[in-house]
Amino acid sequence: MTLSGWEAVFFWVFAIAAIFAGLLTVMARNTVHSALFLISSLISVAALFIILGAEFIAGVQILVYVGGVMVLFLFVIMLVNVGLEERGNIPIFNRSTQVGASLIFCLLMVGGLLFAINNGVHALEERDKISEGAVMLPSQDKSLAVAATGTARISKETERVGNSLYRYASLPFEIASVLLLVAIIGSVMLARTIKQEAAANDVAPEVLLDEIKHEPELAKFVHEEGDPVSETNA
Amino acid sequence: MLDSLIPALILVENEGSRMSTVWEKVQHPDLSKFLVIAAILFIIGVAGVLTRRNIIVIFMSIELILNAANLNFIAFSRYLQQTGNANAVAGQIFTVFIIVVAAAEAAIGLGIVIALYRNKETILLDQIDLLKW
Repeated sequence: MTLSGWEAVFFWVFAIAAIFAGLLTVMARNTVHSALFLISSLISVAALFIILGAEFIAGVQILVYVGGVMVLFLFVIMLVNVGLEERGNIPIFNRSTQVGASLIFCLLMVGGLLFAINNGVHALEERDKISEGAVMLPSQDKSLAVAATGTARISKETERVGNSLYRYASLPFEIASVLLLVAIIGSVMLARTIKQEAAANDVAPEVLLDEIKHEPELAKFVHEEGDPVSETNA
Repeated sequence: MLDSLIPALILVENEGSRMSTVWEKVQHPDLSKFLVIAAILFIIGVAGVLTRRNIIVIFMSIELILNAANLNFIAFSRYLQQTGNANAVAGQIFTVFIIVVAAAEAAIGLGIVIALYRNKETILLDQIDLLKW
């Protein structure tokens, strides 16, 4: 696998953009800036996916990550109070000894990974006896249909992904849908207020009586149900 | 004089050829470049998880880590396509599932953050020490 020409240029542009945006995500003081830098890092990685010939995954990455997950992040940042950190009153990193220890750990991991990648890729290429440019990529195949604009050819990559997804991974696909259902129900349950929980009669009687001291409004749920008060009185 | 110059010239020559091979590799990035980029993104994410106090930024760093894993999968998928492996698309399918799990994880995690903020009025991890003795 070797890129050349404009592909190589775009590879370096987007790789460096992804790394710098990732660094700024970790180092930005303002949490909203962090989120925006993470969005640019994700988009750069999506561009790398396109360079690698995975158009479908790039589209999914932008739709799901940037369009869904990051919007969720921005909503949560809006709901919680991050003002102290933004105004610079408190440090954004842990204590310096902890930061030093984790940076040493990260440097060791960088060294190990780079060493392993260097050796591993050489061995891999020797095993597979890659001859430069011998095998044509599916996206460059001249037999593919021309796109409507006539400027590009329609890749069959997405078709192949869809075929394999349903042929070899149909059970994991169904499990993933159940996982998403669990996530929806779980996040709805987690994000309820005590009032909503009380309205659904989902609070232990002792806890509810304790909460009424802070929030007298909750008392109406006790009288409606009738059970918690009579039980504790008896 | 000349005797001492010739080895130096050879050295310069070697240096030049090494530079040109490096330039050659920059012009033609291969699988290992993608793996290095993914490794660097992974390390940045790990450093973010280990050093930041803000729980939301830690979640974002976890997304960065998962994304680095995705990049590895896609790069190997492309590499296997070139070797003519019939199951090369498996890497892209793995990536789809990683994205699904990441979305579910973000939804649940941010729900926990909201519930935590309601009870503790903070999102700084070193102030959430209820289970610490």
